[in-house]
Amino acid sequence: MLSVYSRIGLNQSARLLIKPALIRGIKTIPQPPGYIVGTVNDAYVPPPPSKSEGSLHWTAERIVAVGMVPLVLAPLTTGTTTLLDSAMSSLLLFHCFAGFQSCIIDYIPKRVYGAYHTYCMWLLMGGTAFAGYGIYEIEKKEGGISNVVSKLWKA
Amino acid sequence: MIRSIIPIIRQPQQLQFGLRALATAAAQQSPRLKKFQIYRWNPDTPEVQPKLQTYEVDLNNCGPMVLDALLKIKNEQDPTLTLRRSCREGICGSCAMNIGGRNTLACLCRIEPDTSKDLKVYPLPHMFVVKDLVPDLTHFYKQYKSIQPYLQRDTNPADGRENLQSIEDRAKLDGLYECILCACCSTSCASYWWNQQQYLGPAVLMQAYRWLIDSRDEYTSNRKVMLQNSMSLYRCHTIMNCTRTCPKGLNPGKAIAEIKRLLAFD
Repeated sequence: MLSVYSRIGLNQSARLLIKPALIRGIKTIPQPPGYIVGTVNDAYVPPPPSKSEGSLHWTAERIVAVGMVPLVLAPLTTGTTTLLDSAMSSLLLFHCFAGFQSCIIDYIPKRVYGAYHTYCMWLLMGGTAFAGYGIYEIEKKEGGISNVVSKLWKA
Repeated sequence: MIRSIIPIIRQPQQLQFGLRALATAAAQQSPRLKKFQIYRWNPDTPEVQPKLQTYEVDLNNCGPMVLDALLKIKNEQDPTLTLRRSCREGICGSCAMNIGGRNTLACLCRIEPDTSKDLKVYPLPHMFVVKDLVPDLTHFYKQYKSIQPYLQRDTNPADGRENLQSIEDRAKLDGLYECILCACCSTSCASYWWNQQQYLGPAVLMQAYRWLIDSRDEYTSNRKVMLQNSMSLYRCHTIMNCTRTCPKGLNPGKAIAEIKRLLAFD
């Protein structure tokens, strides 16, 4: 359904007759005609500025992604310690969190889905916290992610 | 040498009829009929579904560009076919449309001579359609207005007459000021398809960058603040469809990357 041409209506005949129950139950927020807020001569108004959602978030994402490279390579070359392994795991966790957060902002935007956007964000937070606890357990009992991977590799 | 000239002298009859002496009569060319499948939708009959209508054009009697073919169809076959066009030389950006799956200007896009393949022409993807090949660009222009695309200063020029700029500073604007705002890049961007209400899109962001780096502009910090949110700028995921499709050969993707770099430690 979500193709290049869905907006211009060529897919209309292919619309599903029976929508899945999950989609039917979700009420989306109707958008203004032509997405025009105010009159046609008013400039678009951007969301209020927030550096933690803007440049700082972006910079953090990049630093984490670049920082992960030596941490991932370290166990392959010099061996690893619990400290290095926990650093790598937590950076990986943030990397995954930021990626999923970006997906939610893209595909479940607050403007259309309202509260569902917030639910998804909380679900992601919960999942991240759960995974964080999992990393703690692995570090404590299994001796780190790289240890688990090397065991799997040899198994 | 002389012999070769003789035939020219012996052809007075052809000269009488206004033919060039050495011209060979052109063989009658067989018509090269190419099919154009064009998106049609009429707002006066909203109950009728949009459809692709097929027209045949003889490429022997048609100019080389897709716009020539579209105008030929409009003039000779179907006057109801609706499209925007103005300059026919790629400087106004009116005839931006999706031709053969690629956003480009109809006036700069050659017709592929292979007549066995149909050419499909759609309006710019993921925009509201006004009629046939005419998309509604109102929101796009509202977004352009929001970045305040004009010089903003608090101080008067030093010499009291004009705001001077060094040659190096002027050179920084090359590759940015040439944008004609045809919206080909913005409407090719997947991120703009999903979030065009809030994401500014490559065309507008490239102009935002053009005003951010203008040495004469004194409102750079205000301009930066406008982009400091999760939607306006950071929905760019460097898909780079914008750079790939730009009919003017500009690089909006690079301009957006430069804005991100400017803002990185802001």
